[in-house]
Amino acid sequence: MERSVLDSLGVEIIGVMSPVSICMLLVVLLVSTLSPSASDSAAAAASATTAATLVYDESPSDPPGRRLAGALLNAAAFVALIAAATTLLVVLYYYRFTGFLRNYVRFSAFFVLASMGGSILLSLLRAADFPLDAFSALVLLLNLSAVGVPAVLSPAVPVLLRQAYLVALAVIVAAWFARLPEWTTWTLLLALALYDLAAVLCPRGPLRVLVELASSRDEELPALVYESRPASASVSHVVAALGSVELQPVEPAPPNPTLSNRNVDPDRTILEIESLEEETSPLVPNEPSSSGSGDSRQQDIAAEGEREREGERNQDPSSSSSLPGPAFENDSFDTSRGIRLGLGDFVFYSVLVGRAAMYDLMTVYACYLAIISGLGCTLILLSICRHALPALPISITLGMGFYFLTRLLLEPFVVGASTSLVMF
Amino acid sequence: MTVAAGLGYVLISLGPALSLFVSVIAKKPFLILTLLASMLFWLISLIVLSGAWRGFLPLKSASWWPYVILIITSVGFQEATRLIFWKLYKKLEVILDAFAEEKFRSRLSWTDKMQIALAGGLGHGVAHAVFFCVSLLTPSFGPATFFVDRCSHMPFFLVSAIISLGFMIIHTFSMVIAFNAYAEGRKLDQIIIPIIHILAAVMTLINLAPGGCAIGVPLLYIIGGVVLCHCWQMVWRKLTERGNRQRNSSDIHVS
Repeated sequence: MERSVLDSLGVEIIGVMSPVSICMLLVVLLVSTLSPSASDSAAAAASATTAATLVYDESPSDPPGRRLAGALLNAAAFVALIAAATTLLVVLYYYRFTGFLRNYVRFSAFFVLASMGGSILLSLLRAADFPLDAFSALVLLLNLSAVGVPAVLSPAVPVLLRQAYLVALAVIVAAWFARLPEWTTWTLLLALALYDLAAVLCPRGPLRVLVELASSRDEELPALVYESRPASASVSHVVAALGSVELQPVEPAPPNPTLSNRNVDPDRTILEIESLEEETSPLVPNEPSSSGSGDSRQQDIAAEGEREREGERNQDPSSSSSLPGPAFENDSFDTSRGIRLGLGDFVFYSVLVGRAAMYDLMTVYACYLAIISGLGCTLILLSICRHALPALPISITLGMGFYFLTRLLLEPFVVGASTSLVMF
Repeated sequence: MTVAAGLGYVLISLGPALSLFVSVIAKKPFLILTLLASMLFWLISLIVLSGAWRGFLPLKSASWWPYVILIITSVGFQEATRLIFWKLYKKLEVILDAFAEEKFRSRLSWTDKMQIALAGGLGHGVAHAVFFCVSLLTPSFGPATFFVDRCSHMPFFLVSAIISLGFMIIHTFSMVIAFNAYAEGRKLDQIIIPIIHILAAVMTLINLAPGGCAIGVPLLYIIGGVVLCHCWQMVWRKLTERGNRQRNSSDIHVS
């Protein structure tokens, strides 16, 4: 059968959605297998020490007003920490402490994998009643974490392995965050969505400054960033996923939620990939290349992409060389630029779904659909306005809305109908 | 037996959908997006419905007429949703066509449109199965099972899995029929689809009678079979028509 437009449209979107879905699925599985054990005292003690419960330690017996105030305080403190950390990292990046940032990322990846991953592994082993002696568990864990360190940073590691490690990091951090008390989780998610909106879109927002700084230097942005680029696409993109800058100082914290987007200069043999996030599928064809970030070179590139889309066949050799084998013949599907999604987005999507999983499966499905559709909306917006966009606000708002709608409205209706075996 | 039983129920209700997904949908990213959009649509329609019915629930009376009203309003609303979905798709199709023209020098072929309709229908069907059956299956992974009084031959989970499979089939293929009917302007099919939907929903009302599921479920499957047959006839007719004509993609374009 001849190739049709259905084969190629939306590859990039699916390339981002599938790892996000895998991440959410793993977190839901983890949460639902571990939730009985999470109620024991050790886990409760562990959850009390995270940065998000610095101010107020929520207990279900408190009156709602106090819980709400405490949760708001927690969220404010956490967001303030993140903002401070991000600013610190921007300052560090501004003064070119790149080596420090790299090492910092290596350390934090190792730390997350070894300690938090270790504790999750331990509770998994306990839940599965799997007998494993301490020595081999330690060797296994250290080996896994040690591979993770180069996998997050080094270009020599296969892309698939790096993507797997990034997803694993996100799963671990999200499973950790899902242990937060309920009210704190919701306010935290909302506050983070707002923070994300401000940090990426405000003219002086730290994330925006970071992205523009990186682009003006033609450097890779130092952050833990998932990249949906196909595995066969050359060495060039391996430079990505440098460092989880923004959030790292908060110890149990995930990398910062960022979703930003920039064009890649097709003239470089080593493609620059500092962009956190990129959308190239012209879902809205021939849109005006409005360049939101004030980089003039980027405008040129955007205009060039526009021209390419008009049907010029002579493709730049460098960008075509990085196309995978069965790539699209048309330039408008230039897969040499993948979509990037900050790992923090993975984490907080999964936190929302994991929190939903503690209530019921129905809320999980509703939240999943809402988050994925929010992500889709963000990606479509990205293809229209072609600059860094925050990925959290739309998805988190939709996800929370659907969670409460499902919990309050849908569940009694559906359960009532289907337990009397009446369906439609 | 516990996890195995739970997985078995999930596979009964979603197995055919899963194989359709793997064999047809998963290869084409756009179809996955259509599937997700259609699932979201169905979910929103269900949420709106449940919001409207929230004040009257739970239905305490033993009489069956509130259920009839519930089913008629629900089916009517969902058919309206289908119409909205079609209208939206119609708008999207213009963009898709323009895009395909530019990129492949051809418009969407009729098989493409059928696949989009299938993905949309599968989205409805899967969403139905997920919300009405799979999300209630969590207890079935545990050590116990659950029987309802009115259908005591089988575990509740098994009955609901079987019913949701039937609805999955009906939803999926009636969407294919409906999209085709809308595109070609065939009035008969446009009317038949809501009628089939209502009939199928009414069949589940039989389950309210004691022991009724032994009658209602086979009837539901008969309706599912009718939908499948009708869909196959329609596809076969198109296939032979296209076979007679020259396979010219611009010629094939209907609408």
